Amino acid sequence: MLVFTRRKNETITIGDGIEVRVLRVGRDGVRLGIVAPADVSVHRQEIYQQIREANESAAAAPLRVPEVAAKLRRSS
Amino acid sequence: MIVPRRQDAPEDITPEDSIIAFPEGLPGFESCRGFVIISSPELAPLQQLQCVAGPPASFVGIDPRRLVPSYRCELSRADRERLGVSDESVLLWLSLIVIDEDGTAAANLRAPIVINPMTMTGRQVMPQRGLYALRHVITDLA
Repeated sequence: MLVFTRRKNETITIGDGIEVRVLRVGRDGVRLGIVAPADVSVHRQEIYQQIREANESAAAAPLRVPEVAAKLRRSS
Repeated sequence: MIVPRRQDAPEDITPEDSIIAFPEGLPGFESCRGFVIISSPELAPLQQLQCVAGPPASFVGIDPRRLVPSYRCELSRADRERLGVSDESVLLWLSLIVIDEDGTAAANLRAPIVINPMTMTGRQVMPQRGLYALRHVITDLA
């Protein structure tokens, strides 16, 4: 892992066109600004992880799908 | 001469033009790069999202606006570009559904699947501001 020391308003660049700027340094957090090309996804890791887990659960249990569908039809 | 259909022949061959490309797959299913949508009266109002290019994986989803009529999810510029969106009104939205062992069904309203039928491209979008629930309970079979 590369480790840098950066102060407020200093940046690092990654590859071609990705820029990470330190906007604010607080006591328990750092606020970062990220500039990236449109084809690069930028996410907070915990959000990506949550969605990944939700997708894994969604793929796991299709057994009662017809029952759920019938119930939704009745309630609409 | 009538040739009987072989028992082991696939029931329906997926025509190429019904395959929706997911260039990045889905989180957790990154190598699922092509899906088809299966609709049937038995499934309605749910739809099945079946991976046909990549490992076998199948999901069911529902249009989030059926659950929350005011549902509104803003696409980022990057999402619009990658889906090739010129007209948002044609987009198909699907919230994937999790059915727990006890029969509770919940839809992921936070990160919907968005499909552009004009470009046959889809992706799961992750709005930066999480306005909707990751688990929106829709029905309880108990």
